[in-house]
Amino acid sequence: MPLIGRRRVRFPNPNPVSQSQKPKKKMTRPGIPAIFTQPPAIIDPLITETTDLHNATRDKCLPFLKGTHSSQADLNQHGVPALKRDLHVGYLYDSLEDYPSGFVAMDASRPWMVYWGLAGLAMLGEDTSQFRERVIATLRPMQNPSGGFGGGHGQTSHIAGSYAAVLSLAMVGGEGLALVDRHAMWQWLSRVKQPDGGFRVGEGGEEDVRYVKQRGWLDFDFLTFRRGAYCAMTIISLLDLPLTLADGQARDAGLETLTSGLPQYLSRCQTFEGGISGSPGSEAHGAYAFCALACLAIMGPPEEVFTRHMDIPMLVSWLSARQSAPEGGLSGRTNKLVDGCYSHWVGGCWPLLESSLDGKPGSTEPPASSLFSREGLTRYILACCQGNDGGLRDKPGKHVDSYHTCYVLAGLSATQTHHYRTDSSAVSDGFSSAFSWKSSPSHAEDNVFSKGDRLTPLHPLYLIPHKDAERMRLWSQDHPLV
Amino acid sequence: MDLSEWSDITPIELDDGASSAMPLATIAYPPEYLEATAYLRAVMAANEMSERALSLTKEVIAMNPAHYTVWIYRAKILFALDKDLNEELSWLNDVSLKYLKNYQIWHHRQVLLSSKAHFPTFPPKEADFLMEMFAQDSKNYHVWTYRHWLVRHFKLWDQPRELEDVEALLKADVRNNSAWNHRYMLRFGPRDPAPDAGMVNAGDMSTAPTDKGRLPLVDEDMIDGELKFTQEAILRAPENRSPWWYARGVLRAAGRGLGEWEGFAGSFVSEGAVKSSHAIEWLADVFAENGGAVNAVQMLTLLKEKYDPIRKNYWDYRIRKLDQVAL
Repeated sequence: MPLIGRRRVRFPNPNPVSQSQKPKKKMTRPGIPAIFTQPPAIIDPLITETTDLHNATRDKCLPFLKGTHSSQADLNQHGVPALKRDLHVGYLYDSLEDYPSGFVAMDASRPWMVYWGLAGLAMLGEDTSQFRERVIATLRPMQNPSGGFGGGHGQTSHIAGSYAAVLSLAMVGGEGLALVDRHAMWQWLSRVKQPDGGFRVGEGGEEDVRYVKQRGWLDFDFLTFRRGAYCAMTIISLLDLPLTLADGQARDAGLETLTSGLPQYLSRCQTFEGGISGSPGSEAHGAYAFCALACLAIMGPPEEVFTRHMDIPMLVSWLSARQSAPEGGLSGRTNKLVDGCYSHWVGGCWPLLESSLDGKPGSTEPPASSLFSREGLTRYILACCQGNDGGLRDKPGKHVDSYHTCYVLAGLSATQTHHYRTDSSAVSDGFSSAFSWKSSPSHAEDNVFSKGDRLTPLHPLYLIPHKDAERMRLWSQDHPLV
Repeated sequence: MDLSEWSDITPIELDDGASSAMPLATIAYPPEYLEATAYLRAVMAANEMSERALSLTKEVIAMNPAHYTVWIYRAKILFALDKDLNEELSWLNDVSLKYLKNYQIWHHRQVLLSSKAHFPTFPPKEADFLMEMFAQDSKNYHVWTYRHWLVRHFKLWDQPRELEDVEALLKADVRNNSAWNHRYMLRFGPRDPAPDAGMVNAGDMSTAPTDKGRLPLVDEDMIDGELKFTQEAILRAPENRSPWWYARGVLRAAGRGLGEWEGFAGSFVSEGAVKSSHAIEWLADVFAENGGAVNAVQMLTLLKEKYDPIRKNYWDYRIRKLDQVAL
């Protein structure tokens, strides 16, 4: 990764001389509050590598946030660019086609490529069922007879690849729903379940093969995806797998079900900062916060499971501190940089927490206010994360890719949507809460996007359209394992 | 590939789905990659543990280090053939420095080091190599997670080198939150036989989440030492979130309230010269703890209106909660 931060960046004095004294060539566009164009109120004089990188990032973002970057046109009355819908649709269709030989590094990530492309297209209102035959053709050779999907043909089954495969099949429906060998999947998940309550991501290797990074397709700063538990609960609840453990070391250790010890394991991942880490004892990290909260919220109503296993005030404080100005976007860790993908990993935690704080479902009224700045995040996404030719990115200066395109769009969708739970659920067992989520367009006062930029919301736990999640679950209920 | 030594093996050609409908996200693999992975599938299917399979894994890794399956297979062969793992480690060092963002490498390293037969005690060179990695990226999550595992596996909590490295990294960049996290784990993390956790007591169903992190036995001298170290760090850069939250972790572990830092936090919050938004938040919490809701709201309002306005909704939420208590 090129080091972008060595240049010392000086910011304008917080109390700049008036415009009449010192005219500037490029003035901030109207409609943009000063908070998104000015440095923060307090800046320490001490310069370290962290501040170098922050300042360089801020410097790169500011022209986009001010609406003065040469690539920007068509700003709305809030000074926010439009979503380049057609270009993003085109980019995502392309992302599902052929790649040249330089992309060999994504050989173990093809289920992800399929998932990111389909989920992105679904949010943009495209019909994903058109890919049914092609998705089936792509994933069939990746399924192993002993259960689960690998990252490609002949590759060891992996919990993250299996997650991406199952979600992709849910989005195409039809014959796709029948592709998974659910009995083998259940047996395989039982084998990767750990005595400590967590899940390994696959079998093989020596002891403690707990996490294998599922990386993206280019060798730059991709988010790691190491949270086996969330992937496992997604698969189990969508495919209506038995909860009883089949053979494996977890059952040998006395555990009874696939969820045994899991909430406690997630509780151990909360750190002294309030955030949640990828494994007990590591640093709090936005990606794992989403995975842990979504995993808990699949297992039970947020107001019960979060309260029982998380120190909520600390968690909310840490989550809130992920947003900074003037960028408005979200970072994954304390003193790290804003990155578009956390628009989902961190931004996607808010609907879950807000629902938890709102308490029992029943009310469809939007809460009095959300706990983060939807405006800030919307500005960062639309101003800083859109590539000129379609696709979305981490931050200005980075390339677009389908991973960021998917999760930045998911974050934008979170800013536009009010997610809530109802008293009715598509299912009646222990997962009823997970299938009781509904959504409506948010009409918050601080909406700064244009009408035409509304995305189709995704299910806040499964990250596919609600109807697709319910369809897979109901199909599975209709086809019980014998 | 030299095919002469592979004549007894029938390669398993790649099935990327192209035999039926047009598959998605296909890759125009280089011929040498297709060939190597075809043989890889075949020897893996036969679970072959051989020198030639070992060198094949190296070839595939050189072309695609993100191929997680090949790493798992390689580890199996290394153990089956009882190879010199130190040699493997020095090769891994080079690969790690070449692919800084790769995770498989660190998992592989952990698999090797977890062998008690080969590594009954901590190989001290590990710490040197990790510092070399941190020189490239001092916040690399994989490397820190690995280091954390090393501490647990080899029981290194009180090894001077651990704290020395943390302090060297914090001296270079006092905002390195990964280093602060490691320090917390060394000082306050659960030790064997307690299950690993970000905070002691976590996951224990008889303990309320608000009591996570509370030590059963407190070494007050150690606590005071940590608080002093943290204050010095804050004085270098008061608007640095890491030490402020570390201090909260320390006081929480000791079961001591935030109040004892009221004066210290207050020194960063004087009229007209506020030097730290974290100090304001600290004061808000101290006032709220002591029933001074009015003063707490005043602090939260400062944050909302001036010092951290992007989090306005959050500060408003905190104010609403105080109002509820007051009612």
